[in-house]
Amino acid sequence: MVNWIGLYTLIRRDVERMFRVTGQTLVTPWISSLLYIFIFGKVVGSRIDLIAGVPYINFVLPGILMMNVIASAFAHSSSSVYFQRFLRTIDEILVAPLSHLEMIAGFAVGAIIRGLVVGGGIYVIAIFFGGAGIDHIGLFVFYTVAVSTIFALLGILVGLWANGFEQLNILSTFVIMPLSFLGGVFYSVTMLPAKAQLIAYWNPFFYFIDGIRYAMIGTRESNGVFGYVMIFSLVTVLGVLVHELFRRGWRLRG
Amino acid sequence: MEALKIEHLRKSYGGTHAVDDVSFEVREGEFFGFLGPNGAGKTTTIHCITGISRIDSGSVKLFGIDAVKDYRAARFKVGLAPQEYNADFFGTTYKTLDYVAGYYGVPSKKRKARINELLERFGLTEHAKKSFRELSGGLKRRVMLARAMVHNPDLLILDEPTAGVDVELRHELWKHLQELNKAGKTILLTSHYLEEVEMLSSRIAIINRGKIVAIGDKSEFVKDGKNLEKRYLEITQGESW
Repeated sequence: MVNWIGLYTLIRRDVERMFRVTGQTLVTPWISSLLYIFIFGKVVGSRIDLIAGVPYINFVLPGILMMNVIASAFAHSSSSVYFQRFLRTIDEILVAPLSHLEMIAGFAVGAIIRGLVVGGGIYVIAIFFGGAGIDHIGLFVFYTVAVSTIFALLGILVGLWANGFEQLNILSTFVIMPLSFLGGVFYSVTMLPAKAQLIAYWNPFFYFIDGIRYAMIGTRESNGVFGYVMIFSLVTVLGVLVHELFRRGWRLRG
Repeated sequence: MEALKIEHLRKSYGGTHAVDDVSFEVREGEFFGFLGPNGAGKTTTIHCITGISRIDSGSVKLFGIDAVKDYRAARFKVGLAPQEYNADFFGTTYKTLDYVAGYYGVPSKKRKARINELLERFGLTEHAKKSFRELSGGLKRRVMLARAMVHNPDLLILDEPTAGVDVELRHELWKHLQELNKAGKTILLTSHYLEEVEMLSSRIAIINRGKIVAIGDKSEFVKDGKNLEKRYLEITQGESW
């Protein structure tokens, strides 16, 4: 039987932690997105022709939104797991009557909520610049929730693995940020040389960004079905892996 | 029924046998003293009971429930006040208790009443909105104890609960623990203050280098004009039990 109150408490605690440090968790990504939207969308974008049949600001916004959703979900779960391990406050959870699945869901849902709150805020900012629009609301929700879930689970993995602050930031600096930029946040992959396009099609971030772009402006450059299969596969593989590590108590239980 | 039954428990870290074939039981309603020098295996045993550490082999049963196979049911039965402070340093006293009660599935209304009762009992009401890091050592210790009791467990495991606590609070805690025990709660206490264990416990076990080296009623330790401390030193320094 599910310990619903326990699960709800885990989520509530994580969400309240997010609102305890809003400057870091919410205001920072909103300000950086505001600057991206203003500089790339408005200032630079006003001198750029239509891309994929839409003004540059409309083209660039979905990528900026997705990039921040990814970074926020990942940062939330990785720091939550790591700091609770580091300070041993995780013992409060380990001694409680919570299943491994409930623990994972607690950490993941908190991260997904943060991804959605950050994404929602960026959308509101974009309204003021005339760059916001949604063509397929269902797909918009699907992509934001599904991609947040992937990075929430990845964050849990890194939070378990990291033995120091530097390790905590490695994936973010060397994988997430570069692959986001190379995944077509600011440009269409058709602008790349042929060989670089081939590489881009192997970058999963391209499918996340292209998917949300399709949901928002109605045009896509990737194979949608391949994108869905990849997203579902990543959620499944990461979910199974995280569950197995929790079951074994890897870096959680002595 | 035994509140706690440990059979052939083993736990190693690397090549070190922290707990080596430990077996003992704590009867329901008992006040049990669990003694041993630093690094003897007390905390590791407690971690194996509560699920903080994995068991290499052997079994732990809480009120007849297997603490590994049926860990969720077993954990409802236990409350742990650990040796180290492990609460969120930025969370308030109230929130600390609120979250932990929530993990144990205590419904909101009941939780509020229980927390207020514990805040009152431990003199924490005026500190309810203070963050954990703002509290003195003694107050932090009280929060640890209140947290262990927030879901009203049948077995309380107190790992050096009076370390760093002033005399007044120590006496208050003793009184409170005796009241709890009289009310039917089973208590397992570890402490380096042997006079405390001698006064409170009805049965005592001594662990040394991962093995139980003595176990029995308090009267078996305190006899022939020797107090518990003297007997404890004899046992841990190699005299036979």
